[in-house]
Amino acid sequence: MARHDPLFPNAGTVARREYSERVRSKLYRISTIVLMALAVGVAMTPIVLRYFDQASVRQIRVVAEEDRLAQGIMATAEGVMNLPPPGVDRRRWKAPYQIARELDRNVALQALADGRIDAIIEVVRQPDRQLAVTYRTLGPADGVRSQLAGFAALSLGILDWTASLPKGSELGAFRTPTFTTESLVAPTEGGRQVDAVVVASRGFLGTVFIILMFITILIYGMWVATGVATEKSSRVMELMISAASPRQLLVGKVVGIGGAGLTQYIAIAVPVMLVLAFQEQIAGAILGSGQAGLPTGGLTIGLIAAYGLFFLLGFALFALIYAAVGSFVSRPDDLQTLSLPLSLVAMGGYLSALLVLLGGGTGTLARIASLVPPFSPFAMLARLMVSDVHPLEVVLSVVILLVTIAGVAVVTVRVYATGVLLYGQRPGLRQFIAAARRTS
Amino acid sequence: MTLEIDRVTKRFGRTVALDQLAFSVPDGRIFGFLGANGAGKTTTMRICLGILRADEGEVRWGGVPSTDLPRRTFGYLPEERGLYPRLTVIDQLVYFASLYGERPADARANALGWLDRFRIPDLAERRAEELSKGNQQKVQFIAAILHAPDVLLMDEPFTGLDPVNLALLRDAFIELRDAGRTIVFSTHQMEVAEALCESLVIVDHGRLVAAGTVPELKRSSRARTVRLGIEGEIAPTWLASIDGVAAVRPGAGFAEIELMAGVEPRDILAATLERGALVSRFEVAEPSLEAIFVELVGRPSDVIEEPVDQEDAA
Repeated sequence: MARHDPLFPNAGTVARREYSERVRSKLYRISTIVLMALAVGVAMTPIVLRYFDQASVRQIRVVAEEDRLAQGIMATAEGVMNLPPPGVDRRRWKAPYQIARELDRNVALQALADGRIDAIIEVVRQPDRQLAVTYRTLGPADGVRSQLAGFAALSLGILDWTASLPKGSELGAFRTPTFTTESLVAPTEGGRQVDAVVVASRGFLGTVFIILMFITILIYGMWVATGVATEKSSRVMELMISAASPRQLLVGKVVGIGGAGLTQYIAIAVPVMLVLAFQEQIAGAILGSGQAGLPTGGLTIGLIAAYGLFFLLGFALFALIYAAVGSFVSRPDDLQTLSLPLSLVAMGGYLSALLVLLGGGTGTLARIASLVPPFSPFAMLARLMVSDVHPLEVVLSVVILLVTIAGVAVVTVRVYATGVLLYGQRPGLRQFIAAARRTS
Repeated sequence: MTLEIDRVTKRFGRTVALDQLAFSVPDGRIFGFLGANGAGKTTTMRICLGILRADEGEVRWGGVPSTDLPRRTFGYLPEERGLYPRLTVIDQLVYFASLYGERPADARANALGWLDRFRIPDLAERRAEELSKGNQQKVQFIAAILHAPDVLLMDEPFTGLDPVNLALLRDAFIELRDAGRTIVFSTHQMEVAEALCESLVIVDHGRLVAAGTVPELKRSSRARTVRLGIEGEIAPTWLASIDGVAAVRPGAGFAEIELMAGVEPRDILAATLERGALVSRFEVAEPSLEAIFVELVGRPSDVIEEPVDQEDAA
């Protein structure tokens, strides 16, 4: 019969103390508020940029001597430049451009010079009857808007040409053709091709998520290592190790600190998710019209859940290793050197995930990285963000991670049980291996 | 119930910290565990607690191996004191007791009672980092006993305490003993051990050197002590130069002289009289525990030996 040391309630008692010590600290509260404000600021950036951007070209004046040309360019420009984005409620949607005719060219030019209007589209019929259309702005013209104006000019040309056809040639009213883009190689979701804007958006979000995961795993992992090292240096460990088993202490610490980290993450993520979830409404309220193609489009509950899952598994894996490292140093100051190799491993995961993002989530390397710990939490999340991953691959990745975490936990408990009683020695790889092989 | 240390051997690399160490502690006793630094005291206590595993032999309490007993069987005061610096005294006492399975409300009430008993009730809500070392030591002592363990293992519990706190702790020891607890403690303070221990062992280099009650050890000792008073001299330091004198300690109106082996008290008296000194007092006394320790170990108890691989294997 061996001593019965069940994981609970002691692991829970340790976890509660670890959690409450961290969340009660002033530094934790301040850093949470600052990070929350920063994250919300980042999430709001596209809308804020649009807000300032929306004033760049709003008022457009059409100058043309012939009434027919003026009406024509107004109609085509209206059709091309004020085309509502797909899926927008047309009754609530507000056109981004106000297009009107100005009879006096000089008045229009003066208004442009004064900044009262943003652009002039001037149509002149040349002696050879060819139309000359000029899109005039005060500063450098925006490429997209110039292109739209170009489409309007082309449409006007077609209209003018059709008007010159012999009488009796019935062509019907002019209608702006719909315009979409399609790619032969593109990710799919449920068998449906994912919109290019959504792909770009997920690439952006994927980068943000991977950076966030990398930073938080490193920070929270260091919390664990510092916590163990501090208990050791303050010598309270002697008391702890006689009152609870290394397994109880280790699990309690990882869960408690992980919980504090998760609380901070939720405190930061919830407002950000709210901003992202309601970005259309927020954009509508701020910009006064429906906005399509904001950089955070394409974020789904599934992706958020995947982030939560891989963050937790990644944290558990790295936190256990950090705890083992923390148990081998005598002072928290010594952690910097010893934790460097571990930071490099995490960096490897982070870089592999960025490569996955750049490569569109496909390729053998991406597949391998998304299955092999410690890279898999980063790489699988990256793949999920930008490509279509078979559910079995996700399950396999999670199972491999769980098995690895269990194996690492067994080794860490052994290393921890030995390490916490070692003082005044510079730990080396040999000592780690010897401790890992020890059964008590 | 007896605490049995049964031929325990522990090695750290090539260093033998404990070598077939064997002794037993009867139930409800205050038991001294004496040895110089590096003798293996802390290692023995850690093996009792199950923190370290013996390479050979085992520790039993009531016939059951200590590794099979619940953790709350033992209370431990480590030599290296440590508390959570930013946690309040009462919070950490409740926390430690909770780990041993005590209900927080009971632990709180019990802890407040002990704080009062140690005359520090006003420190309950203070952070540990704000406490003096002596008060931290008292808090840690309370942490070791709150769960009412059967066996208390105390590593140097009296070190660093002023006389008032030392007396408080000594009274607590007696009170716990009277309540049926078995107390095993190590100390360098031989006068404390002599006053408090009902029986004791002396270990050196992981081996048992002597065991028994204090009177038994004194009876078996070959060490001789003479108390000598000399008229007109408060501190006759020249006594140390007499052949056969091992050490001279000043007493109240006399000098206490430790004799070397084979030297008889009358030889010292004769040598003193030969020097023309007026002897006002001559008494053959029992040897002190310190003298017995030096006789058996070959050096005083506070001499630090070479540490072994596992720090604190003392």
